[in-house]
Formats: sequence, structure tokens, C-alpha cells
Amino acid sequence: MLIRCILAENRKLHGAVIWLVFLVVPMISALYGTFNFLQNLGLLTFDWYNLWTQHTLFYTLFFFAPMVGVYAAYLWRLEHLGHNWNLIMTVPVRRSYIFLAKFLVVAKMTLLTQGWVFLLYLLAGKFWAGLPGWPPVMIVIWLLRGVLGSLGVIAFELLLAMAIRSFAVPVLVGLAGGVSGMLAASRGLSLFWPFALMQAGMNSNRKDDMLSGQFFPFLLACLVWAGIFAGLAILLLRARDVRAE
Amino acid sequence: MTNIIETKDLCKAYGSHTAVDHLDLLVPEGSVYGFIGPNGAGKSTTMKMLLGLIHPTGGTVRLLGQRMDARNRLDILRRTGSLIESPAGYAHLTAQENLQIVADLKQVPRKDIDRVLEIVHLKEYRRRKVGQYSLGMRQRLGIAQALLGSPKLLVLDEPTNGLDPAGIQEMRSLIAEMPRTCGATVLISSHLLSELEMIVDHVGIINNGQLLFQGPLDKLRRHSRGNILLEVLNPGPARRVLGAARISACDGGDPHCLQLPALPETSVAELVRQLADQGAGVVGVTRRTRTLEEIFLSLTESRKEVV
Repeated sequence: MLIRCILAENRKLHGAVIWLVFLVVPMISALYGTFNFLQNLGLLTFDWYNLWTQHTLFYTLFFFAPMVGVYAAYLWRLEHLGHNWNLIMTVPVRRSYIFLAKFLVVAKMTLLTQGWVFLLYLLAGKFWAGLPGWPPVMIVIWLLRGVLGSLGVIAFELLLAMAIRSFAVPVLVGLAGGVSGMLAASRGLSLFWPFALMQAGMNSNRKDDMLSGQFFPFLLACLVWAGIFAGLAILLLRARDVRAE
Repeated sequence: MTNIIETKDLCKAYGSHTAVDHLDLLVPEGSVYGFIGPNGAGKSTTMKMLLGLIHPTGGTVRLLGQRMDARNRLDILRRTGSLIESPAGYAHLTAQENLQIVADLKQVPRKDIDRVLEIVHLKEYRRRKVGQYSLGMRQRLGIAQALLGSPKLLVLDEPTNGLDPAGIQEMRSLIAEMPRTCGATVLISSHLLSELEMIVDHVGIINNGQLLFQGPLDKLRRHSRGNILLEVLNPGPARRVLGAARISACDGGDPHCLQLPALPETSVAELVRQLADQGAGVVGVTRRTRTLEEIFLSLTESRKEVV
């Protein structure tokens, strides 16, 4: 049944404006990151790792968490509008599946976003900066780790977007979260703050691996944060009266 | 006849405000049950409690022979279709896509989409985005969503709201046919009795969260016997007869016209005989029949329980 719920969520994204955000926002960070890289070649080494530091500097700080916020807010906005709450809560589906399907669809969109970010990084490095060779495999691993790092934030943003009928709040919280995540990660508190897990997973603005030898604690922290917020959201779905507008 | 919906002492309070007050709703299987009350009477709240959308603060709900609780919720919803408040739907998707979403979630074969589109006459507009639909088309789409999976019970909350007269007429015929075409029991709400009296066979009248009347429509019609207008040539003897019979008479707007309360046929016949004997000169006796709407208004205004 969960699969059917995921299919239904996927169908809701057909022709949705959210894909515009998906396409454009990573392009902004790629353009800005590559431009910054080329302007600072006196300070930076001309290689793929240094290009990565500049791409992720903007992407993880300003765009990654707010994009997750946009995805989460959009999926719930579809239900907030036009009495759709009444519809989804009267179909014979477990309430937990309704939330989990949205969670998995946002996770899928995040994974696709990371793929798009990588493609832009590759194109910018190869054809704009003219870097020699190919990006290191670690970059792909860091991008995938970024998806794991985002799981707690996805659950949190979905909880927020479900409880608050506002599109802007989850996005603004994502923006504040990105900055707070960078501060927490720089103080070695990555495991204790979900937004910092995104930064740590992506190895944001670093050449050496931030999570060296700490992958399993990182994975555990990702799952625990996601579990806490998803659990809270499901409890709220079960306990709260449906209020459609 | 078994009841497909049974509530016992159903209550919902929001702080000090009681929206639904000890409601005992009984909807017989195979009926089209009109749930009628003014705006804010508690109709939508009751319907939402039936479907588990809001949690009662007291009482129980039984639907399709099962108690509505966490254990039975999915099984009940599998056999129930609903349209609550106004039609739902994703405006950026086509009607077909909207129905596919609901069909997937209800685990209904895709071919059922064709059947329901046919019933609501939307087949030729299936590829149009719902955002471009008129309100009437959206209402029909809402009904189609509710009909997916051939539910045994349909809960429709004011489905004719906002429709033009032609749309109302079309919706009425659609709903009236449902017990026959779909084998479903229908619970339908409205704030206008006149809107439903042509299609329902059972009625529940609610006001301030309390059920004022519940039963077959015929039973409600029996309450439609109204005042009697008595026209006489000699009001003096007529008033004496009425006084002796302890029947209160009001001025009918003319000295020769007297307005009497509703009386049984036998009492009217006896009264006419006495009036003739006393030389009142009976010119006319007219019974004023109240419309169902007037009964509804008198019930909801006086807040008296009649059954």
C-alpha cells in the first residue's frame, strides 16, 4: 500500500511548478560557485576539489535546505488547498503511509537534485573552468551522503509544512537551518543538529573528508533525527482533527 | 431494516461551545437520508466524525455494522465514499489523473474510472485540467471520486452548494438514482429541506447540534397539517361555540374570519355541525397546509423536539 501512496504522490508532481525550482536553483549556485572559483584562482588550486568547495559553499549554505523546504511545503500545499485534506484522510490508507510516502518522494527529489547538482558541477568544471580529467569519485559519495544527511531535515520540514499552512515558513526555516547547520558543523556538532548533518554529508566547503571514520555514527544520527520528526508528524496526523480549507 | 449508520450520544465540543450534542443518528440501509439544518447546525461536524476526520468528544459511531475506531477505520473507509465541504482535487492535474490518484489509494482497478466518469457525465472532459473546470464540473468530479470502488455508503456534504439551478437539478437526479444504480445508501446534507425533499426518503433535522426530528419523510409530512381558517356570517354565535369547545380563535384579518389551531378532521366536522346548529352561518372552512420548509423553519426556530 505504501507503494500505491508513493505512486499517488508522484502523480501529484506531474506538470508541477516545483520542477522549475528543481532546475533553476542549483543552476544559480553552480554559476555563482564557478564564477567565484575562477575569480579566486590566486587563493585556490585549479582542481576539482577546489571547485567543489566553491559550489558547496553556496549550495549547502543557501540552497540545499531551503530547497528541501520548498519540496516539503509544496507537497503539503497541495493538500492544504481545495479541501484535499478531506480527500486524503478518507481514503483507506494508514495515516503513517500518507506521511511516509511524502517523505520518500521528497527524498527522491533530493536525490534527483543531487544528481542535477553533480551534472552542473561536471559541466561547469569541464566546459567553463576547463579543469583537466574527471571529478574524483569522492564527490559522488559526498553527494549521496548529502541525501542521507538531509533525511532528518526532510522529516522536519514535512512536519512543519503539515502543521503550518504556510509555504514561506518551511523555506525560511530551511534558510536559517542552512546557516545554523554550517555553524554547528564548524564546531564539530554535526551529529547533534539535523541541518549540520546535511553539511557534513556533503563535506561542504572542504577538501578533506569531514566524516572520515565517522560514517556509521553519521548514518545513525540521520536515521534517529528522521525517525523523531516522522514519528511526531504521524502522531499529529493521528491525534489532530482534520481542518480543510 | 438494518441501519447502515448508527451514532449513540455523539458529541463534539470545542471548549465551551458544543457543536454536536448527544446525537443519535439512524440511517437505514438503502435509503437516501437527508441531513438538514441551518448553517452552523452541526451537519458537517457530524459527517466528519462519521468518517473519522474529527474525533468525537463523546459517544460512538457505527458504520456498516462496525464501530468506527482505529481498528476498523480502513475497512469502513474501503466501503465508503464521501464528498465533504466542497469537492477536492488537484487543480494542475486532469480529471483522469485526479481519479487515478484516488483509484490507486482505494486499490480500485483503473477501469472503474471510466464507469464513474460515465455516471457523472464527465467522460469527454477527462483530459481537461481540473483548474479549468466549472464549480458544477468539480462537484461532479467529487461525486466521481466518491463513487470509485462502488461504496456501500455515500456521505455527501452539501453537494449542490454553489450550483446553478440546472446543476442542482442534475445533481439531484444523480443522487436520487444512486441506491438503484450503485446499490449505495446515501447520507446527504443541505441547509434547505426544499432542495432535498424530492430525492430523500428519510430525514434528520438538526439545529444547534441537536437532532430535532428523525424519521421517514412521510412522518414529517404528517406534521404539515396546519391552521384552519373559519369564515362565518355571524361571528358572535361562532365565538360562543368556540369558547364552549375551548378552542382558541384569533382574528383572521376580517371580522367574519377566525383563525383556529390545527385540529383533527373529526373535531372539525363536529365543530361545523355545532356552528350550524347555533346559526353561525358557516361560509367556509379552509385548512392551511404547511410546506415542509415551514415545518423545518418552525422546528429550527422553536428548537422543540417533535419526535
